[in-house]
Amino acid sequence: MTDTKTWARVKSPWVLHFNSGACNGCDIEIVALLTPKYDVERFGIKLEPSPRHADVLLVTGAVTQQCAERLKRVYDQMPQPKFVVAIGACACSGGVFEGNYSVVGGVDKVIPVTAYIPGCPPRPEAIIDGVVKLLNAINPPKQKKQKQAEAPKAESAPVVEEVKQVVQ
Amino acid sequence: MSSSNVDFISLVESKFGDKVQIQKGVNGEASFVANNGLHHDVLKAMIDVDEKTGITSITGLDFGENLGVYYHVHTAKSFFTIKAEVPRANPKIKSVVDIHPGATFHELEVTDLMGVVFVGNEFNGHFVLPENWPDGVYPLRKDTKLSDVKMVPTPEREANKPAEGRQVKIIIGPQHPALLEPEKFSVTVDGETVTRVEPRIGYVHRGIEKTTESRTYLQDIYLVERVCGICNPAHAYGFVGAVEKILKPSVPERAKYLRIIAMELNRLHSHLLTLGHAGLEIGYETVFQYFWRDREPIMDLIELTSGNRVYGSLITIGGVRRDITSEQIPKIKSVLADLRGKLPFYRKIYLEEPTLRLRMKDVGTLSREDALKLSVVGPVARGSGVDMDVRKDQPYEAYKDIPFKEIVYTDGDVWARMNVRMDEVEESINIIEYAVDHLPAGPIKVDVARSIPAGEAVCSLEAPRGELFYYVRSNGTDMPERVKIRTPTFANIPSFLKTAIGESIADVPSNFVSLDPCFSCTDR
Repeated sequence: MTDTKTWARVKSPWVLHFNSGACNGCDIEIVALLTPKYDVERFGIKLEPSPRHADVLLVTGAVTQQCAERLKRVYDQMPQPKFVVAIGACACSGGVFEGNYSVVGGVDKVIPVTAYIPGCPPRPEAIIDGVVKLLNAINPPKQKKQKQAEAPKAESAPVVEEVKQVVQ
Repeated sequence: MSSSNVDFISLVESKFGDKVQIQKGVNGEASFVANNGLHHDVLKAMIDVDEKTGITSITGLDFGENLGVYYHVHTAKSFFTIKAEVPRANPKIKSVVDIHPGATFHELEVTDLMGVVFVGNEFNGHFVLPENWPDGVYPLRKDTKLSDVKMVPTPEREANKPAEGRQVKIIIGPQHPALLEPEKFSVTVDGETVTRVEPRIGYVHRGIEKTTESRTYLQDIYLVERVCGICNPAHAYGFVGAVEKILKPSVPERAKYLRIIAMELNRLHSHLLTLGHAGLEIGYETVFQYFWRDREPIMDLIELTSGNRVYGSLITIGGVRRDITSEQIPKIKSVLADLRGKLPFYRKIYLEEPTLRLRMKDVGTLSREDALKLSVVGPVARGSGVDMDVRKDQPYEAYKDIPFKEIVYTDGDVWARMNVRMDEVEESINIIEYAVDHLPAGPIKVDVARSIPAGEAVCSLEAPRGELFYYVRSNGTDMPERVKIRTPTFANIPSFLKTAIGESIADVPSNFVSLDPCFSCTDR
């Protein structure tokens, strides 16, 4: 049963995008992921509008004071297990806005973060790479080896290869 | 009534005599120092002779004993500033919303950040600051110690209470699938008809204006670019343009053309983004996917010419940082030619496609009178028949040498605003092709001093979303004393509050996206 759940999660992670006070740079790159050139839906990644149906929370922005409370609330609404990806320099550490009076400075000051994708903004390829690395972490290599032994056609490995090619 | 050749300086001179001091060439064509409530009369006199006169921005300044309130006023062909001062102990000034409703948001912002009370437009609570920000602490005043500010528990505000009677309040945002950015709109509906819209902006307020004061001019270019990830070259140019008006370096001709190429490529990608996003909002996803597919080659061009997809940081004080080589020009031309070949198809979609017409025609209609009263800018104004384009009215850089058409539609609805952008895509392609063909030879940058002499200057330019305005005040050091940014979306939001009333709740997304809203710009 656990295997099936993990399989489903890795095969089709539903992501929720939350802008916590970003400049639109990272956000537009996330939207660009859904469009023909990058098309992350081929990896089963689907953008989901409701936190209650989402597996992965993609957070952009330096987390403004006004958004911090809302970010926490959105995170609390997500079902377990949940993963948070901080996208962009601002979400990772506050970036260029670190120390401003209305900025908390970094997603990890408000909610736990699973993966960090730095960059201002990170390229769409980098975001794909980060999310795929997260998926590999959910479905650890040990489990994967077992599956590979069962069925020679492994699910995750070609994805990683493909992304690597894109990045290179 | 309308006349573009009014001599405002002699008008103010004859009407007010010695009571209003005139500083020629300061902050636009001239600055009028009008204290003791005269600012209201000067503005009224200007609006009376030129219908296109409107408030671009209001800047609050801290002079110690006094607080300054600068009204930046645009007319049909020129730019003026009305300067007023109020004592710090009793910072009250007469509001101008009675003669120009478009000033409402600007006044609220100055009240929130600088603590000036506008009599006739008072309010409680916060406008852009966080809800849990303590009352009576104004971040832009020089004596406010921001490290000592203690946040307070979020108070219960009137806006959060449910509507009474048969009306229902629908909260859109801050996290909402139709909004890419966090902002809250409380929409009150009676049945399906919208009766009231209350905005709460400030979710993306990062305090950039304050932060510019503690960083050097060079660092500030990178900071102000990050006001907005979509129109960043426009922000870079706004800041650099204002600083260059104080410093007066002789920017090489080649740099001027390269700046225009950067800004027009930016307009191309921004317009394609919005034209696609509008399709998404009305549930026509094919349009979204098509436009975004064709936006990617433009992103590649931006990367080719500036070095990065989003933040190229091409524009700097004294010129640009990167040149376009002769090998890159064929690539630029072939990408633009490809896009031009696809335009007839897209134009047909926006002009004739019944799905789009049903959702956009006669939705969110803004009349020309309202557009002038609310001081809207950019494609929103041009969609309502107001021929207002900074590139034409007050040409900056090399725009006066480059032929292009100003696109104006008179319908005033969502359809008109989107078609203005559709036609501007072609104009931008024309401008870039012309600029690439006529690129002057020579250097791309002159070296400039790091410290800027004391002075003040304004710079306004046509960003993809409309007129973008910068005010920079320097005190002779390497850090600015005050930077004010007025972004186009900030000027356009009041029009949404007006046009949404009386229409169906289902039309709110398409109406809203036709403003091309950018909240990271709005809040700064």
